[in-house]
Amino acid sequence: MTALLGARTATPLAGPLLYARSRAVPRALVVLLASAGLAVWAAHGLDAYVDPSRRVPVVALTPLFTSAVIGTSLYTASDELDRTAVRPWWRLRAVHLLTLSALTAGLLSLAVLGHPSVFGPPAMVRNTLGTTGLTAAAAALLGARLSWLPAFAYVSAVYVGAASAHGRLVTVWAWPMQPDGGAGAWAAAAAFVVGGGLYVVRGARP
Amino acid sequence: MTLVAERTHAPHPLRGEVVHGFGPWAGAAVLLTLAIALAASLDQWQGGWAETREQLHTAATLLGAPLALAAGCRHGGRERRRRTEELMASAARGPLARLLASALPLALWVVAGYAGAVVLAWLATWYCSMGDGPYPVAVLTDAVVLASAVLVGQVVGRLVAWRLAAPLLAVGAYAVLGVLSYDGQDALGHLSPVVDGTTDDVPVWWQPVAMTVWTGGLAVTAVMAHAARRRRFAVLPLAAAAAAGALLVQTDNAGLWHTGALADRQVCDTSTTPQICVNARYGDLLPQVTDALSGLTGRLEGVRNLPVRFEDRPGEPRRDEAQLPMLAPIGRSVVRGELTEPRRYAWEAGMALYGRAYCSVEETRDWDPVDNAVEHYLAPIPKQAYFDEQLAEGSAADRDRLEARLAARARLEAMGEAERRAWLSEYFATVDRCDGRGVPTL
Repeated sequence: MTALLGARTATPLAGPLLYARSRAVPRALVVLLASAGLAVWAAHGLDAYVDPSRRVPVVALTPLFTSAVIGTSLYTASDELDRTAVRPWWRLRAVHLLTLSALTAGLLSLAVLGHPSVFGPPAMVRNTLGTTGLTAAAAALLGARLSWLPAFAYVSAVYVGAASAHGRLVTVWAWPMQPDGGAGAWAAAAAFVVGGGLYVVRGARP
Repeated sequence: MTLVAERTHAPHPLRGEVVHGFGPWAGAAVLLTLAIALAASLDQWQGGWAETREQLHTAATLLGAPLALAAGCRHGGRERRRRTEELMASAARGPLARLLASALPLALWVVAGYAGAVVLAWLATWYCSMGDGPYPVAVLTDAVVLASAVLVGQVVGRLVAWRLAAPLLAVGAYAVLGVLSYDGQDALGHLSPVVDGTTDDVPVWWQPVAMTVWTGGLAVTAVMAHAARRRRFAVLPLAAAAAAGALLVQTDNAGLWHTGALADRQVCDTSTTPQICVNARYGDLLPQVTDALSGLTGRLEGVRNLPVRFEDRPGEPRRDEAQLPMLAPIGRSVVRGELTEPRRYAWEAGMALYGRAYCSVEETRDWDPVDNAVEHYLAPIPKQAYFDEQLAEGSAADRDRLEARLAARARLEAMGEAERRAWLSEYFATVDRCDGRGVPTL
């Protein structure tokens, strides 16, 4: 009874904060910040002014790892209990995913400022959205703890295969390796909308 | 009696580990990843066995190894996630047997996924093979690397209780392998399982053995140090891995790789002038090449002062030889065992005979009509009409140049057979000079 009264008098933020803690979001934020710092260090150590394509490992691999961070933060240890709640979860899920994605895209873009025409912030934002979308879809279909696997398999395969690929559709299916702009951005945006939407509607598979 | 019957039909404990759980998913992920990477660059390797070996090796080690590490790491944390660690600890089997019972089926699935990709790639190349044969030793070495990665990942997964350990391990391995391979000439680069020679090269016999001992030794060390009853025995595989690693680091590139016996051999058609030799790795392509060059070689019949043959070996041609236009890297002149542009290939072969590539434009300007007439007669560039139009629409000097070219072509074609052979013999005696001395007029 005391606990119930206490809950009633809590601040309006108590719900979202509890939600964030239950998903280990604070720890995910720390890892995202550390990843962004590492990306800044790596991007500046690669001497991109000599050859802008030297940034490709940073632009491809950092969003891949941050998407894994976001994906695993979608895990809940109390899935069955959550599903019995009266309140709809989709708002919290959407805020969770959008906030972390936007924050990550912004932070990682700092790593590749300069040389705006190739592998700059637009490419980083595109890859962050695309990989996060794939990871969110995997969280809904495979489970949050294994959500990093499909994105990792796809991006790493494209990383090796796309270097020598030709054809009209290469800018679409090889979007993680494309310079700024182009059709790849649309493919990544579609991945984010579809994957994110799937997660927001269905939640992560236990 | 019932108990006896149940015992007789009870499946082996490993069967459940092999058939169910994460193993099939990991194997499918490895197969799909490698298949996507291989399919994306199909034009660059299909038909060439050495190219297929190189592509498979790169995909397996650069993509498969991090994936295998991550899969092993995730699988290693299984008992912790299920909260069955204490239950497992109470089992009659020791920790090493429990770890292997969990890790080996996963390693089997990962290697099976890789084997599936190998079979697909070999079938794709066999279908339009140009000669040579598969390289099973490289495949076996990479399979050991993948299995070792699963074992190391399994140990890391048991030690690190963090949800992000698996993806972090994968991305970290990817970065480390990438950095080590970025400059494979470095001594430390030889420790990377990704580093390979060129497609003309094969490793010395002990390189795959050393790589196997190096990667396998590290994995066995990790497993024994974590789970063996007598952990001090982990020093033995560690010593073996260190010895193999030292051997790899101390040997330079020339000591690790050498030109393969097949890449040093040629298959020749001696019925043409000049003779046509194709590298034995692409030996089955000889009829197509001979056919593509038939126009050129047919017109050169009876002409003297020509190179003896077109050669296709690594390195510079000898004095009496001309370089056959490049067949490798495949994906340009050759795709899936077919010459993509036979007419262009013939033009390139002709230019290897009389191109004067080492002379400047100014030096050859005076006898440009003569060179152009020979080129046009023997093996014209496929877009000759386009270039003629460009000159016709150009400046007065360009139009004069075109007029001179057209006149020279007409005079060469108007000659009788014997006269033209004699003229061409005289012309080919001068193609290695830039000063124009002795170039016959038209």
